[in-house]
Amino acid sequence: MSDTHSPNDFDPAEPNTSEEYDPVDVAADSADADLRPGADSCYKCSTCDTTCPVAEVDDDFPGPKFQGPEQWRLKRREDEQTIDDSVMSCSNCMRCDGACPSGVPLSEMHNTARGEYVDEQMSKTSVEYWRNRILANYRTSAWLASKVPRLASFAMNFGPARWAMEKTLGVTSERDFPEFATETFREWWERRGAAAESRRRAREARSRLDEPVDGDKKVAYFHGCYSNYNTPEVGKAMVRVYEHFGYEVVVPEQRCSGTPMFANGMVDDARRHAEVNVSSMADLVDRGYDAIASCTSCSMALRQEYPELFDIEGIDDVAARTFESVEYLRIHEDLRGELAAADIEGDLAEEFAYHAPCHARNQGLERQAVELFGELDEVTVTDVGDSCSGISGTYGWKAEKYDTSMEIGDEMFDHMEATEGETGMTECPTCAMQMEHGTGYEIRHPLELLEAALVA
Amino acid sequence: MASAPHVVIIGGGSTGAGIARDLSMRGLDVTLLEQGNLTHGTTGRMHGLLHSGGRYAVSDQKSAAECIEENRVLRRIASHCVEMTGGLFVKRPEDSEEYFEEKLRGCEACGIPAEVVSGSEARAMEPHLAEDIDKAISVPDGAVDPFRLVVANAASASEHGARIETHSTVTDLLVDGDEVVGVEVDHASGAGRHVHGVEGGTEEIRADYVVNATGAWAGRIGEMAGVDVEVRPSKGVMTIMNTRQVDTVINRCRPKGDADIVVPHETTAILGTTDEEVEDPEDYPEEEWEVDLVIDTLSELVPMLADARTIRSFWGVRPLYEPPDVGSTDPTDITRDYFLLDHEERDDLRGMTSIVGGKFTTYRMMGEEISDHVCDQFGVDADCRTAEVPLPGSEDFSVLRDYMDEFGLRSPVGRRSVERLGSRADEVLKTTDPNPVVCTCEGVTRAEVQDAIEGSGSNLNAVRIRTRASMGNCQGGFCCHRLASELHGEYDEATTRAAWNELLEERWKGQRHALWGEQLSQAMLNYALHATTQNRDHDPAERDGPPVDFGAFDDGATPTDDPPTRDAVADGGRDGD
Repeated sequence: MSDTHSPNDFDPAEPNTSEEYDPVDVAADSADADLRPGADSCYKCSTCDTTCPVAEVDDDFPGPKFQGPEQWRLKRREDEQTIDDSVMSCSNCMRCDGACPSGVPLSEMHNTARGEYVDEQMSKTSVEYWRNRILANYRTSAWLASKVPRLASFAMNFGPARWAMEKTLGVTSERDFPEFATETFREWWERRGAAAESRRRAREARSRLDEPVDGDKKVAYFHGCYSNYNTPEVGKAMVRVYEHFGYEVVVPEQRCSGTPMFANGMVDDARRHAEVNVSSMADLVDRGYDAIASCTSCSMALRQEYPELFDIEGIDDVAARTFESVEYLRIHEDLRGELAAADIEGDLAEEFAYHAPCHARNQGLERQAVELFGELDEVTVTDVGDSCSGISGTYGWKAEKYDTSMEIGDEMFDHMEATEGETGMTECPTCAMQMEHGTGYEIRHPLELLEAALVA
Repeated sequence: MASAPHVVIIGGGSTGAGIARDLSMRGLDVTLLEQGNLTHGTTGRMHGLLHSGGRYAVSDQKSAAECIEENRVLRRIASHCVEMTGGLFVKRPEDSEEYFEEKLRGCEACGIPAEVVSGSEARAMEPHLAEDIDKAISVPDGAVDPFRLVVANAASASEHGARIETHSTVTDLLVDGDEVVGVEVDHASGAGRHVHGVEGGTEEIRADYVVNATGAWAGRIGEMAGVDVEVRPSKGVMTIMNTRQVDTVINRCRPKGDADIVVPHETTAILGTTDEEVEDPEDYPEEEWEVDLVIDTLSELVPMLADARTIRSFWGVRPLYEPPDVGSTDPTDITRDYFLLDHEERDDLRGMTSIVGGKFTTYRMMGEEISDHVCDQFGVDADCRTAEVPLPGSEDFSVLRDYMDEFGLRSPVGRRSVERLGSRADEVLKTTDPNPVVCTCEGVTRAEVQDAIEGSGSNLNAVRIRTRASMGNCQGGFCCHRLASELHGEYDEATTRAAWNELLEERWKGQRHALWGEQLSQAMLNYALHATTQNRDHDPAERDGPPVDFGAFDDGATPTDDPPTRDAVADGGRDGD
């Protein structure tokens, strides 16, 4: 069982590609963090409420000010049954964090309250609990599906099956399930020669770039579940673009970032996955690697949610050394110069309707794609505005949240329709699902465009 | 005697309300007079500690034994006013080991359940305690809401036929020969509930007996009949933190000293206190060093207090009394015991007794003793039942309910509301009308506010102490106007405005002592909101000078075709032009 080896004997050249099913631990620990003092920073100004996409369309949702500082202040430390169930209607977009002028730890309060609600107040035998748990543990389903990708892709979109899923589990039948790749990113990576091959290619690139061949440019790729199981082309683009700039890539053992688990209050599930991720990343960070994620929710989890919610050895170092994939290159490479000299042809010479994911916004990344690709003559990247896409990961997959999700997404759909062309762009896999669902556009990741411009 | 004797009780604090309840339950005819709102004096200005007796276990064991007895009684009869938090006497390394042992033995001697816990056990109970504390003694201290308790006592007295008059100042005692036969009262508004703007008046109330339960004001009442009551008022500051840093009462385990207690109270924690003798219970300096001292000193026990948000500070005046022959110079040496001064025995003045000294925790016991004394005067043979019969609100109730299904309220709001209302929750909260949250900081809904208005008239400060509305972190910044709106319908504009102004002033009073850091930002935001949306910076309708030209305001489209004039000013202009 390769899962059991300790961080010390972990070899990045031999990533763990075997998977195993996670036994579900029902006896979850209670969330015990006391966040009442966080309410000290709140002046009740309500700016958070005005930026909450759920509150905007759902009059029954009391908004982040109530969910966060007000609820925590009213709460008693050892109270039972005091988290209001409306916390389950928060989509965890975390926009309130960015909106607050006063540093209230809103999303941390929401995540912790939601964890406590699910632990202590939600029936562990309810359909809602198991539906949420299955959605939150998407990685487990995707891993199973990846064993029989074609059958899974067919079965998951087979009408009667979907009808049954909606009726029994409350998973909306309005949406199409994403296709499962016939070869996962990790299978491709292994087949290609893994870290050794990446090192060879990085050295080749360095000599082309007139950089020291033994240079110390190395990154650990956190691909996340979606790039692995559904869109390996994003992961491949990441590897090729980074190698193009002379970076050696390693792909360490990893689990789900935890984002869908936080959003569903499954904090203990998230902790188990975080422990694996932090342990493999901490080891690499210690050896000079930076952690790179191509999904903005994954990078958000590693950077902000992990240190806020968990106390795992090495977590702060990992958080400090985690970057989003395009952000990292903008910091260290002359991306603009390279793009100015580049040409692009074929189906990516397009106008892209770009949507900045909420979690990208929280990391200050909402303008990077628009600014960067302005240098490419053949390409136009049009920002479709600052609204939320509305899907928020697993949120829009819940039958009872579907309408809210689509209502939030309405503004984005309108703005997308107003652009020329029929291609969208975003860093977030579930925003991409929503963009496609609402407009029928094909959605690409900025890394794919970078690959087309610089590598192809 | 043909009818029941009529007893006038002066003072609507815990003692007065406790006596009123006791005597009215024994069938006497009772009138309670209070110059302000209930709890206006010292009762409304205490840190809300339900003593286990631990604090007096070394210095005053008689008081300590009374405290633990009454602590048990109040848990029974006033469960909706009490939160059994437990308490700790925490010993820091520099504190005396000998005193710690004395405290422990004292608790045992007084029958106070006490247990020694190690530093790490104490920190497991209260994670924000300082890391270097040695150990602690755990005792059954609790938190009690003095407002709720006094209101419940007054309500119970009322149910038993007592007349309760607030905003009614006793201006003179009626003395006939060597006997007090009544009082002269100045009502700020009409008799009954306090309504702003209702013409007040003077009333002479005849009484068979008068009880002076005015605490720090007892000397003044005594003077009206020419008797000396040597109360020695001593001030102490209390500073309110925005949130609870501790959920247990934290006492410093050392001999008497300033700044040695943190009481978790509702959503807040209250730090106390200082002890300085003052001349006048109504006029004494509120000094910044006192606030600094409590925060700095208590940070030695709970370090995070140093940077935590303070929402206000207030001062209370202890009604200390000692027999004139004791002669303590330091107010901290004066006993916390209470004294019943029968002016007939003491001053040859019949018809009046004063009760002085004592503590909030033993208010009921004091009430019982003086009620026994009053009954003796008239040969009334009736047993005291105040230790057995629960107060209104504390009859059998459970706080765990389905707040959304039963009351349509969000969990934390429902929980807090039911805690405050106790067994009255159904009666107050089950409404078919819309019931929005009026005060979001404390989770107070319209139904609860309306219930309070019903009980106390247009006085929004009386509504505040009944509901906690406006007592949270914005200190009324976002709800004072909403509370004022709740008066609409029953009360006219002038009454509402007067009540609103009075509430804002009261809220500002305590915040003046917390204007740094977060509360300064809050106060600035409140000011900006009130100035821009309520003309609180300068109401053009109320200033001197030429009348406001309201036509200069933009009053919307005019029916004529003329283009709008350029000199219209949106704010009314300085000179109305």
